[in-house]
Amino acid sequence: MDAAEKLLLMFFILAAVAMFVFVTVAWSTRLPEQEQAEVQHRGYAIRGRWFLGITLFLLAAFFATIPFFPYLAAAEALLPAEKVPVIAQQFVFIMPDHFPLNRRILFEVTSRDVNHGFGIYNPEGQLIAQTQAMPDYVNYLAVTFHQPGHYTVRCLEYCGVGHAIMQKDFTVEGASPTPAPMPMSQPSGTNTVPSSNASNPFE
Amino acid sequence: MQATHSNNSSPGRGVMTLYLVSGLIITALMLLVGLTMRAAQANWLPLPPDFFYALLTLHGAGMIVALAVCAMGALWFLIRRHIELSASLVVLAWVLIMLGVVGVIVATLVGRFGGLYTFLYPLPFDGSWPGWSTGVFLIGLVLVNVGWMIWCLQMLGAVLRAYGGLRGALAWDYVWHREEFQAAGRQPPPPEAFPALVAGFDGLIAGMDATLLGVSLLVRWLDPRVVINPLWAKNLTYFWAHTFANLIIYMLAALIYVGMAHATRRKYHTSTVLVIGWWSSMFFILANYSHHLYMDFVQPGFMQYFSELSSYLTAVPVTAVTVFSALMLVWRSRTRWTLGAIFLYAGLVGWVVGGIGAEIDASIPFNLHLHNTLWVPAHFHTYLLGGCLLFVMGWVFLLLESRSARETSGIMRGLVVALSFGGMVVFLLGFYFGGAYGVPRRYATEPAPGPFIAQFATVGAVIMLIGFTLAFVEGLRLRWNRAVDQPLWPGELKEAPHEG
Repeated sequence: MDAAEKLLLMFFILAAVAMFVFVTVAWSTRLPEQEQAEVQHRGYAIRGRWFLGITLFLLAAFFATIPFFPYLAAAEALLPAEKVPVIAQQFVFIMPDHFPLNRRILFEVTSRDVNHGFGIYNPEGQLIAQTQAMPDYVNYLAVTFHQPGHYTVRCLEYCGVGHAIMQKDFTVEGASPTPAPMPMSQPSGTNTVPSSNASNPFE
Repeated sequence: MQATHSNNSSPGRGVMTLYLVSGLIITALMLLVGLTMRAAQANWLPLPPDFFYALLTLHGAGMIVALAVCAMGALWFLIRRHIELSASLVVLAWVLIMLGVVGVIVATLVGRFGGLYTFLYPLPFDGSWPGWSTGVFLIGLVLVNVGWMIWCLQMLGAVLRAYGGLRGALAWDYVWHREEFQAAGRQPPPPEAFPALVAGFDGLIAGMDATLLGVSLLVRWLDPRVVINPLWAKNLTYFWAHTFANLIIYMLAALIYVGMAHATRRKYHTSTVLVIGWWSSMFFILANYSHHLYMDFVQPGFMQYFSELSSYLTAVPVTAVTVFSALMLVWRSRTRWTLGAIFLYAGLVGWVVGGIGAEIDASIPFNLHLHNTLWVPAHFHTYLLGGCLLFVMGWVFLLLESRSARETSGIMRGLVVALSFGGMVVFLLGFYFGGAYGVPRRYATEPAPGPFIAQFATVGAVIMLIGFTLAFVEGLRLRWNRAVDQPLWPGELKEAPHEG
């Protein structure tokens, strides 16, 4: 089961449970009427449990997701990585065409004009990592490519009439030469804490 | 303060009718614009990209404003049942909003402004459209915002005045000093006063944010040498856009409190849980916007953590208070499942299911794969189309049904429900599937499997619109068969006025 199917399954299960509750409650109007006071007496007890249950569930979900956040601690940011500048501008990405397999790449993503998105799609067309490309700022995105093949970068922030054609293809190869560093002027206002896409929670 | 007064004749109902009719007309036009764009993404309708994005800008801004206008009119009417309100002031707000809508229409259809309703700086000044259209669009939105703030001020002023300041409007003593409160013969505000308080308070804060942003952008438009920090502008943009859009459904919760109680023939009162739920919503509505910036790694880290937690917990008051209360109203009641009741109830389903989609997207690990894909329009269409619009339609039908000598036939109800909801599900599923498979949003021409999915979605949208058209025809028939001697609903209030 791939990432898309897992997401859809999760959504459909939760939506189906909600639908079941709504349909059941609507169907109950076919039963003999119950006094509102009686309904409230029982309903308030259920609501108290629901309140507690949903709050605890959501708090647990919050803590469970933290390890998968893409915002890394400073120590992790110092891990060895190939630094690759990426410049987005209407409607192209300026970046290398080849990347090595199984090597940590630290993309330094910025924009020369408006806001863009930097979304990496793997050879199967799945969106595996992304960050925003914003003028005056650099977003750091760490990715390790474990699968050789043709990848595509697509713009994921609306940037003008050429937004849909703004893409860049690159290949990941086992014995690839080190990508040539791209000339790039250092923008002002860069952040100092690099970030990474960490591990994929679907994999 | 005179809290009970005639609401049966103009201007009380007149104002609500003005807002509802204008809002629904704009909504209908925007639905057609949306259908046009989906057909273009299905490769069934050739649209030049600049026109597609101008339509997308119009659709987004138009739909949000249209549904907000509907919610404002209905909530204003409900509050006026309790508190005297100036009709001329709210009509002025309406005029300003409509002028703003005209500005947006001119900027997009004539000027081909395609900076979208999110108009992220500096895109409005870096597009292929003429500079004047950027200015007209921004001025249009500023007018909408001024009208919105007038409405918010009127709402907030009214509830603060009528219920004894912020402490009284928040029902603070009702929650924490219940015995003394009741011993003094005091009553808490009615349930519909809380949406008014929250919309007024949060809406004003969002409106001030929009004013700051709007003025900054207009200054930049007048003088291109002006430089704005893009991260600052992005925060302000999403704070305003998210809060404004989010408040629509919270305002419409008032229709649930009054409308579902009417449809189920039960009573809905203010309770401690309801009050505390609205306190928390008042906070969460303002706190959630930053989840739009998860993929901006330069955003301060604590805001990312806070946004996810806040976005999660916002589900607690919604489900534990408004939705749960509505379910308790319906459970084993004598509900007459008229079209009004069906639409209102179905709107709750749209709110919850859209909320599930939103919570998944608000989870940062999933957002890495869903951010700015079609999953985003999936969840907000679910609760704007399947939630807000159905609430408004339900409310309008309850009003029509209450005075009509005619009843909707079972066949007509079945047809409207099957076509509207069936088509809507197919249409929405297109967004969810597209999002899960990584199809980017806001693409005039989508990569595979986008066009294939868009074809199903377009068919679904057509079916849904046929259902809505049938509902419109049925609404007209109910209106034409109006029984003059039938008492108006919601009627005048007879209970003692709230303390002022």
